[in-house]
Amino acid sequence: MVENGLENWEAQIRKGWLDVAILATLWKGRLYGLEILRELEGRSDLVIAEGTVYPVLSRLRKEGLIEGEWEESVSGHPRRYYRLTAAGKARARALARHSHEFLSKMDALIQPLLKEQTR
Amino acid sequence: MSDEIQVRRAQIDIYLAALRKQLGGLPAEDVEEILRELRGHIAERAEGALQGSGTPVERILRELGAPEHIAALYRADSLVAHARAGFSPVLIVRTTLRWANRTAVGFAAFLAGLVGYAVGASMIVCAILKPFFPANVGLWIGSHHLLLGAEIPRPQGPDLLGWWIIPYGLGVGTAFLLGTTVFLRWMLRFAPRASRRVAAAA
Repeated sequence: MVENGLENWEAQIRKGWLDVAILATLWKGRLYGLEILRELEGRSDLVIAEGTVYPVLSRLRKEGLIEGEWEESVSGHPRRYYRLTAAGKARARALARHSHEFLSKMDALIQPLLKEQTR
Repeated sequence: MSDEIQVRRAQIDIYLAALRKQLGGLPAEDVEEILRELRGHIAERAEGALQGSGTPVERILRELGAPEHIAALYRADSLVAHARAGFSPVLIVRTTLRWANRTAVGFAAFLAGLVGYAVGASMIVCAILKPFFPANVGLWIGSHHLLLGAEIPRPQGPDLLGWWIIPYGLGVGTAFLLGTTVFLRWMLRFAPRASRRVAAAA
């Protein structure tokens, strides 16, 4: 029961943060799907099924936050490279500010619980 | 070796065919782009792009997730788009309400919509009530203005419509409801993207 609740909570958290995380991976320049996935896997715990990232990319593109362009890899496979639009950059910056503030407060709030545990 | 390649290709084709089937409701060009992108993903992982060595196809497909799961995620976004283009007054009013919180134009559109729906609904209510309260429901010439509705006591002066209030009420009332919906949908094209999406998803 507790485990189940934890899993649900984690699934919700992942879903909520995926947008921010994807926009953040594109901050420094364009990447294609697999590169975004590798970034997320290396630097976050957000991706469970790789296939969940592509629908999010599709939605962000329809919202005008990112744009995609097709290119062929050297081995001939199609890649869709994504980059932030001007609106996407503004959104990413706003989300980053909110996230930072939110996480700092949350962290301060849960600190006592973590100390309790180690005792 | 070539057998192995064929088996791999068959696995990928089966997976993508299942996904294509599940994506049925989406526009054809969206489906092609989705499949093209995922085919590229599978091919590159199989060749070991970005990780050194190739990954078995079974594992790539497993890590992508079930076709119906991915398709459901794509379709969820498409439903949002459908809702925006839809004719549900509830959705449209909700969307306009979000917009009304942001700008004066949005607020004006919301007010106009509210009045339009209220007038339309009250005409239909009058038509429905007429058979039950024939004396008290009608359209009268008041001292300064026209009076429409259920009045107790019955106002002085002639009832202009009599029983005709039923067909007129239903017809004009429905026209008001439809007209208001069309008007709001048209107005919503001027709303910022974000509020359209948020409300549609709600």
